[in-house]
Amino acid sequence: MRESFRIALAGNPNCGKTSIFNALTGARQHVGNYPGVTVESKSGSFVLNGMKIELIDLPGVYSLSSSSPEEEVVFQELTKPGIDLILNVIDSTIPQRSLYLTTQLAELHIPMLLAFNMSDDARKKGLKFNIPKLEKYFGSPIVQTIGCRENGVRPLLHRLAKSLHELEDHGVPMLSYGNDVDDAIRAVTEKIDALDQNKYSRHYSRFFAIKLLEHDAAAMRIPELKPVASEVEAQIRHLWDVHAIEADTFMADRRYAMLAGACRDAISMSHERRREISDKIDLVMTNRFFSLPLFFLIIYFTFWFTFTLADPLMGYIEDFFSWLNEMVKSVWSPETLPLLRTMLTDGVISGVGGVLVFLPNILFLFFAIAILEDSGYMARAAFVMDGIMRKFGLQGRSFVPLVLGFGCNVPAIMATRTIESERDRTVTILVLPFMSCGARLPIYALIIPAFFAPKYQAFVMWLIYVIGVLVALAAARLLKSTLFKGEGEVYLMELPPYRMPTFKSLMLHMWDRGKMYLQKAGTIILAASILFFLCNTFPRKTAFSQDYDSEIEKIRQEKALDDAGIELLRQSGALDPEIMAKTEEDRFIPSEALEECREEDFPEPVRVLIRSSRAAGEEMDQLEKKKQAELLEYTISGRVGRALEPLFRFIGFDWKLATASIGALAAKEVFVSQLGILYAEGDADETSVPLREHLMKNYTPLQGFCVMLFALLSIPCLATLAVIRRELNSWKMAALEAVALFLFAFLSTAIVYQLGTLFRIGTRFLS
Amino acid sequence: MAGVKCSCGCSGKGKNPEYTVNASGVTTLADLPVGAKATISKIMPKARGRKKFADVGLVAGAELEMEAHAPFGGLLRVKVLDTSMAIHSEDAANIVIEKEED
Repeated sequence: MRESFRIALAGNPNCGKTSIFNALTGARQHVGNYPGVTVESKSGSFVLNGMKIELIDLPGVYSLSSSSPEEEVVFQELTKPGIDLILNVIDSTIPQRSLYLTTQLAELHIPMLLAFNMSDDARKKGLKFNIPKLEKYFGSPIVQTIGCRENGVRPLLHRLAKSLHELEDHGVPMLSYGNDVDDAIRAVTEKIDALDQNKYSRHYSRFFAIKLLEHDAAAMRIPELKPVASEVEAQIRHLWDVHAIEADTFMADRRYAMLAGACRDAISMSHERRREISDKIDLVMTNRFFSLPLFFLIIYFTFWFTFTLADPLMGYIEDFFSWLNEMVKSVWSPETLPLLRTMLTDGVISGVGGVLVFLPNILFLFFAIAILEDSGYMARAAFVMDGIMRKFGLQGRSFVPLVLGFGCNVPAIMATRTIESERDRTVTILVLPFMSCGARLPIYALIIPAFFAPKYQAFVMWLIYVIGVLVALAAARLLKSTLFKGEGEVYLMELPPYRMPTFKSLMLHMWDRGKMYLQKAGTIILAASILFFLCNTFPRKTAFSQDYDSEIEKIRQEKALDDAGIELLRQSGALDPEIMAKTEEDRFIPSEALEECREEDFPEPVRVLIRSSRAAGEEMDQLEKKKQAELLEYTISGRVGRALEPLFRFIGFDWKLATASIGALAAKEVFVSQLGILYAEGDADETSVPLREHLMKNYTPLQGFCVMLFALLSIPCLATLAVIRRELNSWKMAALEAVALFLFAFLSTAIVYQLGTLFRIGTRFLS
Repeated sequence: MAGVKCSCGCSGKGKNPEYTVNASGVTTLADLPVGAKATISKIMPKARGRKKFADVGLVAGAELEMEAHAPFGGLLRVKVLDTSMAIHSEDAANIVIEKEED
């Protein structure tokens, strides 16, 4: 008795295959990609009566014609040696359609087990199956299942155990298409067997005979099969004489005829089919007038759901990482390996933490998408939006990912997997970075209030987003009419009936995407954080333009509190006992305590003390920040900025803006914090008013606008680039995309800046 | 026009009547109004995607029903073998049909 088996799970799209897969394997599944194509591969395992079973979830297909990457993958997987059994899932509410694939799977001569899924729905619809008769037609045992129900796969497990036990004499299915057709198939099969080629095992000669008889392009290209071409042509001519049906659809026609006969014989309808609820919902959902508003409402609700639920969780994650940072800093004394300490805290923890903060967003977004997908709404959305998107060279299914791009480009690019046409998918991915994502918002929030009057601020913000959308659509149009030219592929999309998504499948879907995001944070983001930390730190400057340290020390000496001052402070009770103790020791009021204390609450002598301490503190702070700025200018980041300055002057950037923009290529949020350090404001965030004052003093509104434009049009972050590489499965494409976006951003900004300078638009300093 | 059921929501009162007359004088799936049923009599031999159509049940002899037209044109929603399929009108123009009178 063997102990391990490989079972392939095959079926049409939307036949409930995934729910069967989830029910059998639980969460023990492995998701990956088939090499060379963007078809997701999924496998899982479970133990049945001590037998270890590996279940391979093949992509959903209607046939084995090799007319799509999915069909190609299914054929390759099934003809690989080592598949012990095909588990074919049938949507039993539409048996005639679902069994079409079964007729082709049967030709592979692999033992097969049919799962008539959704049997509860079929019963409601009034369908009655004569199972023994059907088993005879298809030469395979049949089990009725309800994949989405907890105990719905029990009968399947029983039958599966039985099948695996008697696998040797399980028998293989053999279908009959009528005498003349069977004769023709046999004649060609014999010729192929006579060739004795062993590219594929002998089992498949009947399969290839049928493929040749229906002029299948892929089968006709196989050189080993060329010698039988004349026999094939003779048989085709003979069949044409009898049936008068073109070869390419001949077998399809025969299969449907055979299925129609089988279904008439073995399936009965007890009552007239009533108009299903699903169709009623669609009267509203795909209604000519309501469909678009409804679609926008649903998309809006998806965003609302994502951001409302994720917001508090993001706060917790942020708190956790700042706590972790503090903890490491307090445990690890600054004296031992100080560089490694800062690299871990300010580099790794801040960098990776800054990315993990978005994890709740990703999870909720994909939960919402899974609902739309599993319920069947996504196909309707694509149907409704197709007309508009087609005008820009895209298609209906491109719309949702593009809108998601406003949130974050990374999940948006992952969401393009629903686009079946490879070319449309590629174009959608390539133009997605133009959709202004949330990470660019801090830049706009910093710049717009600095350079634009309040009444124009909303307009400028809106303008930036609109520019992004227009550029994306124009670029799609351009790409489709140049690099990705060609007749559109045949568009065929099933609109499956609405179904209630199961909680389990939603959770699994969400976790799949979440896991990918975590992997990304653990690899690319981690590496980039370390790299940028190093670039911002080295080489370290040792000789400064002024001796900051001793100057700071001098102020500290001069402004130190004398005994009288300390006594005065203690008596006033202005400070907590703990802080008071520290003040006595340092002879200086800690800056955190100074920020909190309100001098109006105290008598004049104490006020004088606080004020002078505060002034001294600020002075020391300024010196420290100047030192930091000098340090940064000396580092690789600073030098790169300096070196690029002549180039960036075309788009109105000085070396500081250039350095920050280069840093922002890693992640757009970096721009604000980098610029903050350069302008010696320390930990700047978008609301820091002094940084804005610096900007107003040093740049014109035109330059401010150029900064935003450049941020909008260049690559949003390394993570986006990484995900583009993975989804397009090409380093070359990802690299080209990054370069093209950079050049485009640079040229557009240069044109705007140069024209603006020429016509003196926004070139006056505001202060 | 009372009694005309139309899933596009216009309840039968479209703007202006639109006629498409095919040069070859045959009726194709692209001409089938919403709500009407028909039988495929033939798929043009040169039509692209013949095999793909065949795989989802669009073969000569198949019965179908036009369920809806997408807004802004382009896609048609056709019910065949008890399943709704969205198909482009350009491709539908290659599917010759015989309208069912009822």
